Amino acid sequence: MRKIVFAALLFACGLAQAQFDIGRALDLGRKIVTSDAFKEFTPEQELALGEQLTACFLGASPLHPDANLQRYVNRVGKWLALHSDRPDLPWTFAVIDTETINAFAMPGGYVIVSSGLLKHLSSESELAGVLGHEIAHVVKKHQLQAIQSAAKGDLASSIGKDLASDAIARRGGNMVAQEAKTWASGIATDLLKEGFFLRPLDRSMEFEADQMGVVIATRSGYDPYGLVGALEMLAQYKGGGDAASIFSTHPPAADRMAELEKFLPSVERFAGQPQLEGRFRQAVQLK
Amino acid sequence: MSAMGIRIAAFLAATFLAAAAWAQEQAFTSRSTELKDLGSPSGRTIATLPENTPVKVIARGGGWTKVDANGQQGWVNVFHLRFAATVEKSSSGGGFLGGLSGMLGGNRQAQSTTIATTGIRGLSPEDLKNASPNPEALAKAESYRADKPAAERFARDGKLASASVDTPEGGHR
Repeated sequence: MRKIVFAALLFACGLAQAQFDIGRALDLGRKIVTSDAFKEFTPEQELALGEQLTACFLGASPLHPDANLQRYVNRVGKWLALHSDRPDLPWTFAVIDTETINAFAMPGGYVIVSSGLLKHLSSESELAGVLGHEIAHVVKKHQLQAIQSAAKGDLASSIGKDLASDAIARRGGNMVAQEAKTWASGIATDLLKEGFFLRPLDRSMEFEADQMGVVIATRSGYDPYGLVGALEMLAQYKGGGDAASIFSTHPPAADRMAELEKFLPSVERFAGQPQLEGRFRQAVQLK
Repeated sequence: MSAMGIRIAAFLAATFLAAAAWAQEQAFTSRSTELKDLGSPSGRTIATLPENTPVKVIARGGGWTKVDANGQQGWVNVFHLRFAATVEKSSSGGGFLGGLSGMLGGNRQAQSTTIATTGIRGLSPEDLKNASPNPEALAKAESYRADKPAAERFARDGKLASASVDTPEGGHR
């Protein structure tokens, strides 16, 4: 649902009240950035970036201690990912132990979902809709696009330098895994400092991920309305929404439902597929 | 009361409480719509609800939502409902994001929710600001990965069958 402009996702290691000076950053950025610094990330870089960002995220919010819950969410997620256009990534789904309602996608196939969100879902098909949305962000590389966009813009003074040094390194040959890890560690740290994790992605990316998420869940054999159900829950939600919650990092649920209403007729014929409320309730017993 | 009796009483009490909590959720029809006896297009029409009819939400299931409309219960198309969310957002988070999205050139619209300072047990900007990488937690998370055969067994157990569905771009898979 979040989850994730980059917003969704990259919020973790970020900080809400970034103290950076936009004017200074833009000025420095113009001096530093060169056009060849922002070519496509290599698969090694994408994976290393996802690992480092996830490690940062888990430094801010602990994993939920229920191992069976973690395995359950990974089985749902892997089954969905097998029906995406990137089935061979090392897909990893982590439940974090927090009341904050949100989900986040990291580059390379890392997806984080909060126990606060799971607690408010009512079926496996709703979970599949949420995870399908996050998988779609990874498949479409939305987070990587947002990093590159920020590196050209207001974050040029920090991550712009990281990416520029990458371009220099690449002229001498491909990065090996260890180099990619060191490089990614630097970028992840800078993103954390600059509050990147709390930024919304473009609305168009969120709507695209919603549609693709519905398709992935439906291909995987679930009721196509799972994501709609999760959005309905969000639209009815009464309570607190902190700076890291889906209410801050995503378009309003009502807007997302209005977009999906135009798309759902194309998958209406699959509406009889399972919702699996019973298996969900058995696996997700959160207080 | 027998142990079984106590369990049944507890179950009934929990069910009642859950239903009571749901019954508090108010919604309105966003257009004229049919109240059906089943959550399906083939359900029998019980009544026609005019636009802006207040209903109480009882349950959600797929594309249909069970509601109580003036004492009459039935199912309506989820897209024909408008909900009244009241999310209390922290003022610092909302303000920061609102300002930043403008600077980034985004066209993000104002949230249709209220903004107020609140405190829930969740991720805080301070936690995030001070976070340092936790490689042990990453390794633990990776240890829970499911491989392809495990995912396929899991799908079979749930009677999930792969379906051929067009992509939004018009492709096919």
